[in-house]
Amino acid sequence: MPPQVQQFVDTLNAALPLEGYLVVGAIMFAIGAWGALIRRNAVVVFMCIELMINGVNLSLVSFADYLPDAGGFGAGYAVLVIAVAAAEVAVGLAIVLAVYRSRKTVNVDEINLLKG
Amino acid sequence: MVIAFVFLASMTLICSLGVVLSRSIIHSALFMSGAFLGIAGFYIMLNAPALAAFQVLIYVGAVTVVILFGIMFTQKPQAKHYRTIISRQLWPGFFVALGVGAFLAYIVTIQDWAGNEPGNGLRSVEAFGENLLGVNGAPPIFGLLFEVASVLLLVAVIAAIVVSRRRVGDGVDRGVEE
Repeated sequence: MPPQVQQFVDTLNAALPLEGYLVVGAIMFAIGAWGALIRRNAVVVFMCIELMINGVNLSLVSFADYLPDAGGFGAGYAVLVIAVAAAEVAVGLAIVLAVYRSRKTVNVDEINLLKG
Repeated sequence: MVIAFVFLASMTLICSLGVVLSRSIIHSALFMSGAFLGIAGFYIMLNAPALAAFQVLIYVGAVTVVILFGIMFTQKPQAKHYRTIISRQLWPGFFVALGVGAFLAYIVTIQDWAGNEPGNGLRSVEAFGENLLGVNGAPPIFGLLFEVASVLLLVAVIAAIVVSRRRVGDGVDRGVEE
C-alpha cells in the first residue's frame, strides 16, 4: 500500500476531536431554536424543543466520554434528561389537546387568551 | 470513525432542518425520528451503547408515536404554503438562531480540548447501571435523582390524564355514552 493511501486510511480511522461532537450539538440546538421561533403549529414547536434537548444531550455524552475527570457520569445525566423530556412531552401534548378542544386551533399565534 | 461521524452528522443535521422546513407536519415527525436515530449512532460512537438503546426505545419509539398521536388528534386540513405554516418571525428567528449557533460553536471551539482522548465513558452496562443508581463509586446524588425522576414521571402521567380529560357533557364523543 502506498504511504499516501496508508496515511489517508489512518486519518479516516483516527479518533475525532471533541469539538466535532460539540459543534454538531450546537448546530442542532440552533436549528431547534430556529424552528421553535418560526413555526406556528404547537406540535412542531414541541418537536423542535426535542431537537434542542437532544443537541444538549449529545454534548453531555461527548463530554462524559472525552474528559477524564468527568468519570463517564454524563451518560447518567443524559438518562435523567430523557426522563424529564418524556414527562414534558406527555404534559405538553395533553395541554395542546386541551387547547385544541376549546379553541379549535393549535397555531401558537392564534392562542392569545392571556393577552391583555 | 470519520466516515461514521460525517454520515451521522449529515443525517442528524439534514433531518433537523427537515423538521423545521418540511411543509407536511407528518414529514416533520418522521424527520424528527431520523434525527434521533442519528443521535443514537453518536451515542454508540461515544461509548454509551446502553444510552443509544434508550434513545432508540424512548425517542424513536415512544416520543415519535406520542407526537404522531398528537398530530392525529389536532390536525385539520389546511393549506400547506409556507405563508401559513411559518409565523412572521422567519428572518428575525433565523438571525437569532444563527447568532445562538455561531456563538455556541465559537465558544466550544476556542477552548483548548487538546489531550482529551475518547474512551472514558462507562461502556459496560453494569458500570452504567451502577452510575445511574449512585452506587459503587458513582456520586450518591444519582440515587436521589433516580427517585425524583420516577416521581416526576408519575406526576406527569397523572397531570396528562387530568389536563386532557374530557369533562362530562363537554363536546361530542361519537358512539360513546357519557
